[in-house]
Parts: sequence; structure tokens; C-alpha cells
Amino acid sequence: MIPNSKLDPRSKLSMVMSLSGMGVLINDIRIMIGILFITIIILKLLKVSILKILRKFKRILYMIVVLVIVQSIFFKGGNPIIAVGSVAIISDMGLQKAAAFALRIGIVIASASILTTSSYRDIVQGLVQWKMPYEIAFMVSVAIRFLPTFMEEFKDASVALQLRGVDFEKIPVKKKLTVYSYLFFPVVSNAILKAQELSIAMETRAFRAYPFRTSYLILKIKPLDYIIIAVSFFTAVAGITLYYT
Amino acid sequence: MNFKSDGAVMRRSIELNKISFSYNENQRLFESLSLVIYDGETTVILGRNGSGKTTLGKLIMGIIKPCKGNIVIFDEDSEKMNLGQKGQKIGYLFQNPSRQLFAATVYEELSFILELKGYEECMIEEQASKMMNLFQIEHLRGMSPFYLSGGEKQRLALAALLINNPGYLILDEPTTSLDPERKEILSKILKQYHDEGKGIMLITHDESFALTHAQRVIEIEGGMVTYDSKFET
Repeated sequence: MIPNSKLDPRSKLSMVMSLSGMGVLINDIRIMIGILFITIIILKLLKVSILKILRKFKRILYMIVVLVIVQSIFFKGGNPIIAVGSVAIISDMGLQKAAAFALRIGIVIASASILTTSSYRDIVQGLVQWKMPYEIAFMVSVAIRFLPTFMEEFKDASVALQLRGVDFEKIPVKKKLTVYSYLFFPVVSNAILKAQELSIAMETRAFRAYPFRTSYLILKIKPLDYIIIAVSFFTAVAGITLYYT
Repeated sequence: MNFKSDGAVMRRSIELNKISFSYNENQRLFESLSLVIYDGETTVILGRNGSGKTTLGKLIMGIIKPCKGNIVIFDEDSEKMNLGQKGQKIGYLFQNPSRQLFAATVYEELSFILELKGYEECMIEEQASKMMNLFQIEHLRGMSPFYLSGGEKQRLALAALLINNPGYLILDEPTTSLDPERKEILSKILKQYHDEGKGIMLITHDESFALTHAQRVIEIEGGMVTYDSKFET
């Protein structure tokens, strides 16, 4: 077991960047399965519940499945598996592309979940100590902090829309997309309002009033973190280089 | 059995049978709460902050689920109904109406539900215009609901509920953002809705508004019904 509480958030950030970087840049299904497998092992070692992650992303799983189907249907080329006359509906290449897409999303979501084992304050501090400007580090932290809220708001909007008498199961397919687009309006408008309120609140608390900031929290990197950062970096570089040469 | 003044039997619209609910393990909000709400009657739910008024509305609509007990809506077990089906039977106004506005313009907010039901364009226009006139929001027709004031949002949300012609209305704090003139308009609309024989549940702190409509007053305190009485209006 990795002593999670003792791991520096910078080592976790390194792991996330390495895994998601490889997931995005490498396009070989077998390697991608391997990356996802390693990510799951890391999550297990950090005692992150895979079931909890799946439950959290249950709602977007449906969207991913739809995208996978669309990808496999609309991809031109490859040998047809299902065809109507001479028109190939699903081809082996199309299925491969769809599987790669699903794996890529899976790797990004799973690897990002590594960060949930650190508090967002620790992550910001990690970024600042990596010489990232505080303003940008703060923005990252706000984004991380508000992600669950947006998920919650998306869920609320879906409930509220259904309570307006919209039965998702009975909407004709051609109108489904329009209805789903309605879910984004309250979420986006609330996000804009929240951003406005947050920026005002920060200004009133003298954000950026002084050129230098001090912090009560100073992260100390340990030998194990150096090893994790080095392994993450070299694995990503080696993996991507070997794939492209 | 409950009777109307003319002796006719009143239909049960909502039944809560031995409902238990808690937000956390340590504190139980409702413990075996049973309540019958009748159709064609305006029921007012009163109570202090945190007494469980809004939770009661959310439980009925299925936004949250009870730990124990069951809820029956117009003779149908609510467990077997999805949110969309409940929404077609009961119009529910949220405490914060911004949460139930979705469309890009005020007109679209009123029309999209009728479009989904397959109404003709001219019928949609007629119904939406009627609602906008009724709630005095005609001048906001092309505006985004995002830019409306609190009171305007509240009126739009209510208009959007009524255009769906639900059989029962649950309104959570419907007067919060309304000025006296708009409250008067809301009063008239609710009276008209009630005169059509439909039931309303008003969850509110605004006692003077509530009591002008109430035919039954229920007070909740600590998750228990502490007062339940018929009221002559």
C-alpha cells in the first residue's frame, strides 16, 4: 500500500499527467488497456473506491456510450461488420476507434481521480511550489473545487426539467438532443453567476493586492516522491517516444 | 372520508403513509408521518425554518426518497412513477425558481413543453401569449430568463408550470420575490385555478397570503404535524 497521506500532491500530479498524457497521445488499444489497468492499480493502492468513481460518473456514462456508438457508425473505412446493401454501418476500424475513445475517456477520468486523495489546498500549494503563478494555481483549485458542484447542479437541472413534465423515456429521438441542451442553460448561467460572485468576494479580500504571498502551508518533498515523479516522467517519455518511433 | 360542502366525497390527491426521512444518521426529520391531502382544496403548510416544509414537498415530488413508508399520488404508488410522470400530474414551484428555468428566451421557456407534447404552432403561440399576459411578462418575451429579476423569474416559473395544465400545484414560497401588486395577481390566478376544482399546496412563511387562500392549514414542527385544521375562506 502507498502511504497516501504522506505522498506529496506533486507526485500525484506527476502520475496524473503521465497517465493521462499517455492515454491521449498513444492510440494503440492494447497499450491503452495496459495504461488503464496501471491506473486502476494505483487507485487501489491509494485506497480510492473504483465503485464510487463509477457511481459519480454514472450519468455521463450514457453520453459516452452514445458517443462510442456514433463514432463506430460514422467512421468510414475498414472491413464492414454490419452493412445495409453496399453501405457499411459498423466496420472493424470504426469499432476500434470507438473502443480507443472509450478507453481514453476512462484513463483521463480514472487518473484524474488520483487527485481526489489530496485536498485542493495541497494541490494548489504543490503547483505554487512548482513555480506556477499563484493566480493560475488558484484558478485550477477553483475549477477542482467546483467540479462536484457542477455535477450536482447538472443533476438538479435534470430533476427540475423532468418535474416540468418532461418524461425523458418518451421523448422522440429527434427532440432528445434539444431537451438535453436545456440542461446546460441553468448550469452554465449559474457557473457565470458563481464566477462573478467569487471574483467580487476575492477582490474584497484583497486578492493580488500584494506582489508576494506567503503561505502557512509548505510542502516537503520526500525520497519516495522523487522516485514517483521520476518514474512517472520517464515512463511517459519512454512510452510516447517508443510508440511514435 | 372527507366531504365537500355540497356533500360530495373529496378525492385524495396525495397520501403519505408512515413516512420516515432523515438528512443524516443522527437526526431524523420525519418519523412515521402520515398525511392525506385532498384534491380541490388549498392546503397551507406552515412551520418554522428547518421544520421540514420544503422537505415535505421534495418527498412528494420524489426529489428525495423516504427511508421508510410510501407516497401515493392520485391513487398511484409514486415509487412506480418517474419524475416526468409526477411532473405531469403535479406542478412544483421550487423555492429558488432559477433552478427550473432552462430555455434561451421567456417565450421558449413557455413553449418548449408544448412543442414536446406535439402541439400545433398556432396553439403554442396562443397559450404562451395567454400565460405571458396573465403574469404580466409579455414585454420580456424575447429576453433571456437569466437576466430577469427574482420576481420576474418567479412569475415565469409559475407560468411555465401552469401552461402544462397540472392536476395539482405545490408552490414552495411563491411570494418571496413578489411585490404587493404581483401578489394580488398571483392570488387571482390561484383562485382561478382553485375554481377549476384543482388542489394547491402552499408551503410558505407568508401567513397573511396563505390564510387568504387556505381551506386547510397544517403546521409542522420537528417533523410532526402539530396543527391540522379546516379553514373557512
